[in-house]
Amino acid sequence: MHGTRTIIGLAAGAAFFAVLAGVVVTRSFATAVVGETRTFAVTKAVDATTEKLRADYKRPKIIPFPKDNPYTAEKAALGKTLFFDSRLSSGNLLSCASCHSPAYGWGDGQPVGVGHLMNKLKRRSPSIINAAYAQIFMWDGRAGSLEEQALGPIQADVEMAMPIKDLLVKLNAIAEYKPLFDAAFPGKGITPDTIAHAIATYERTVISGRAPFDSWIDGDEKAISAEAKRGFVLFNTKGQCHTCHSGWNFTDDSFHDIGLKTSDPGRGKFLEGIPKAMHAFKTPGLREVTRRGPYMHNGSMATLEQIIEHYDHAGEERESRSDLIFPLKLSKQDKSDLVAFLKTLTSDVDPTTVPVLPR
Amino acid sequence: MIGTKTLMTIAFLCGATVALASTEKMISQKGKVFSESELTIKVGDTLVFVNDDAIAHNVLSMSAGNQFNLGSIKPGNSTPVTFKAAGDVQILCAMHPSMRMKVKVTD
Repeated sequence: MHGTRTIIGLAAGAAFFAVLAGVVVTRSFATAVVGETRTFAVTKAVDATTEKLRADYKRPKIIPFPKDNPYTAEKAALGKTLFFDSRLSSGNLLSCASCHSPAYGWGDGQPVGVGHLMNKLKRRSPSIINAAYAQIFMWDGRAGSLEEQALGPIQADVEMAMPIKDLLVKLNAIAEYKPLFDAAFPGKGITPDTIAHAIATYERTVISGRAPFDSWIDGDEKAISAEAKRGFVLFNTKGQCHTCHSGWNFTDDSFHDIGLKTSDPGRGKFLEGIPKAMHAFKTPGLREVTRRGPYMHNGSMATLEQIIEHYDHAGEERESRSDLIFPLKLSKQDKSDLVAFLKTLTSDVDPTTVPVLPR
Repeated sequence: MIGTKTLMTIAFLCGATVALASTEKMISQKGKVFSESELTIKVGDTLVFVNDDAIAHNVLSMSAGNQFNLGSIKPGNSTPVTFKAAGDVQILCAMHPSMRMKVKVTD
């Protein structure tokens, strides 16, 4: 649709004389030359049919593993052991699973995380469900991979407070860890990289279970209620939820200010000069959503009903608020239908076994 | 909506009469995807980033020699960026990190 056009002009030096109308602003940054912004009318897409929408939500058949850290059973087993080992913290009390517990939808059930010496953190512990499908991590996107993310909380002084050098000494002193590392990473030993790669591999195996919604997507009309089906349509139309909670994992893996009352800059801390990044946080997925409360980056909402009420009123109006957030004018029935739909995303998940730890 | 066009522009600046030829290519951002994932252009060519999506986007490059940051671009806006140095350029939307494209700028 978009093609190439050739400009032949007469110019001196780097000067460029624009002849197109609708000029708004000129900006320049470092060595690429940014020209004048023009405006045009945007045509809104026509709503798709329910059948087309259902196709967009089908579960993937494979878990993606990165080329530089492919899956092996040995690596996943070691990663699980490390994930549940509280000796990865300086106080020997906190493991990764303390804040990302299978008992709480792989979060911790608290409004905000609690770290070393009972430090209250500023944000809610995010669930690791379906992290394998993400491309960027943490509420503010400061980690570019699960491997990078895995070592962050271990070393953070308010979280597990374990300097990585000390951790290597500690793990090397636990004799039964050596054969696990040898099996997972032959010849590589216990290093920050092997620890991170093992934990990340295990985390990628934490996938949401098959929910009633999935059975409906696959054609079982009786799998969810009529109320939930109406909720699905609302989710994708009037409710506008799908614009961020998109795809089978119900996230666009992106950052939005949804108008919550907060002083936390979120993504904006790393992206000065981009107004829409201020107070923007990563869209959480909605799989197993009824097990993942309290909700929002700061745990400020306890129920799904509160969340829908928030979106209906659009929260605080400010420059950074996403263009996708605006008053929805949902009816009482709409809200009830949306909640019914969201509840179909929770599976009958099997209990998670906890590993016996090396000594 | 935005198709292939040929545009003849004649500018008379400072009395100069040096002829330059450069290409200008539209890059759409619809559906949280750049319309091109990889592209080769020449030094002096221009990419016009068109936000024809329903939401604001950003276009950012931190690649040496071709750094730029378009800030928040609202739907219905387009901004040209002219590339001045040869090299590989990684372009992304800072708000939607899955939106990425690679541009190879050649002499």
